Amino acid sequence: MLSIKNLKASIEDGTQILKGINLEVKPGEVHAIMGPNGSGKSTLSKVIMGHPAYHVDGGSVELDGKNLLDMEISERANSGLFISTQYPTEIPGVNNVEFLKMALNSKRAFLGQPEIGDDEFKKLIDEKMALLEMDERYRDRGVNDGYSGGEKKRNEILQMAILDPEVSFLDETDSGLDIDALRIVANGINHIMGPEKAVILVTHYQRLLDYVKPTYVHVLRHGKIILSGGPELALKLEEQGYDWIEEK
Amino acid sequence: MDALSRIKQLGMPRRNDELWTFFPVSRIPAPEFPDACACEEDFAEEKDFAALLPVAQNARALKRAIADGESEMALIKCNNDFGRTILDIGKQAKASIEILDNKIPHPVCAERFDVNVGEGADVEIFFANPANELPLAFRHFRITQAAGSSVRFSSIERGNGIARVSIDAFLNAPGAKFEIRTLNMLGGNSESHHRLHIYHNAPETTSVQLSRNLLDGSSRASYDGSVIVGNGCTKAFSSQLVNTILLSEDSSVSVKPVLKIYHDDVECTHGNTVGELDAEQMFYLVSRGIPKEVAKKMLMASFAKETFYPLPDSPAKKRLLQVLENG
Repeated sequence: MLSIKNLKASIEDGTQILKGINLEVKPGEVHAIMGPNGSGKSTLSKVIMGHPAYHVDGGSVELDGKNLLDMEISERANSGLFISTQYPTEIPGVNNVEFLKMALNSKRAFLGQPEIGDDEFKKLIDEKMALLEMDERYRDRGVNDGYSGGEKKRNEILQMAILDPEVSFLDETDSGLDIDALRIVANGINHIMGPEKAVILVTHYQRLLDYVKPTYVHVLRHGKIILSGGPELALKLEEQGYDWIEEK
Repeated sequence: MDALSRIKQLGMPRRNDELWTFFPVSRIPAPEFPDACACEEDFAEEKDFAALLPVAQNARALKRAIADGESEMALIKCNNDFGRTILDIGKQAKASIEILDNKIPHPVCAERFDVNVGEGADVEIFFANPANELPLAFRHFRITQAAGSSVRFSSIERGNGIARVSIDAFLNAPGAKFEIRTLNMLGGNSESHHRLHIYHNAPETTSVQLSRNLLDGSSRASYDGSVIVGNGCTKAFSSQLVNTILLSEDSSVSVKPVLKIYHDDVECTHGNTVGELDAEQMFYLVSRGIPKEVAKKMLMASFAKETFYPLPDSPAKKRLLQVLENG
């Protein structure tokens, strides 16, 4: 499904952040990526999506056999990739619902499908907002405009639910969430997740993984995945931190 | 001194005249004037050529009064090459005035508006012209405000020629508030120039200026905004902000904030930003599958609409946002 091979990427001054990432994600899998601050976790999602601040130095990223790195950013998204960044961008003046409809119709146009009708879209958004227990304020506001950290994260999952991507890369979606919001967002992710889909979660804490059960846990450090394991690895990291891996 | 004598005394605008620093003065053809001035008003103190031009050309003055406490919506059509409008807004009156664009392609047109705003009156003046074919257009506003009055001036400039809006606003009594929001959406070789003098002549007066520019092609915009806070004008507040997005290499903007403050206990700010479309916002939109060109339009529309969001719900806000919505 998603195949990342020896991915290397740097920032404008030439500093290499990703130094050879390898990751195979199959349908139905949930991958958790953990690691200390500054290890390259956030960079990974942005590089895969094609953020202009990063330069790919080598390697490949394929989604269902298609090379994502050759595609425009919008093509990557419409091909089934979704990323949620740690700090979702605010866009005042672009209505949240209109933006969602535009994004959905862009995907449908890419897939050769007709635009969604007003009634059908309303039904869809009503259903997803109810799933995420979002109130009506989200409809009239600008995209993430003036939202709290938790509201922004919830809005990201709403977008994920509407766009229904194959692979979702969620960067610290649990940060800024209180216990109730964490449960709601995690339920949303589980609801959207299915046997044909995959989720990659970047997190610092076990608490999100209590709700969204990972198939694999990876440790990213110094721009490389240095250790992979099952769910028990996250528990060990929670207890012992990262230094033991280095020593090992 | 009548307007004709004064304009002849001043001569044609020159680049070394601070009122015309950014304006392509060579593009102003030397006008032919009538033999005598029909208006007997004294313009000895007037320094702006554009403020004098319609009067010196004997433009017929439209006079309109809104009585105390009345509420009125008005449309002002300006189809002559030279026009003058005198509005007297009564105490506690409410007025919403839309200025419609000149539809006749005169080589030069100049309009002057004298707006006298009574105590406690609430006035909005706005124009949201569709793109027009006027090669050279001047609009001058002289606004005097009494105690507790409020004037909101809002405009969208999208012309194909060269436009200049000049405003002299006099906040003559406590509680007077003047607010201006202008948006220039220019392309090709079009130009839009704003020149303001806001006089805080009394304590507790307020002025707010926001100017936004979306400039493409070889278009040019300028904003020359002066705030003059007089002696003894305690608690006067003034803010000025100019935000510009340059969409092309050849577009340009010039901004000149001038603050002349003759009193200590006041708050006056000014700011100016120039940049391109926000790269992070662009990435966010395209990362949701929205094509780049569509995302660019969304961000431009968002930048434009934000100019007017803070306005209270009113005919002006509705009209301005409607114009932007409809492209």
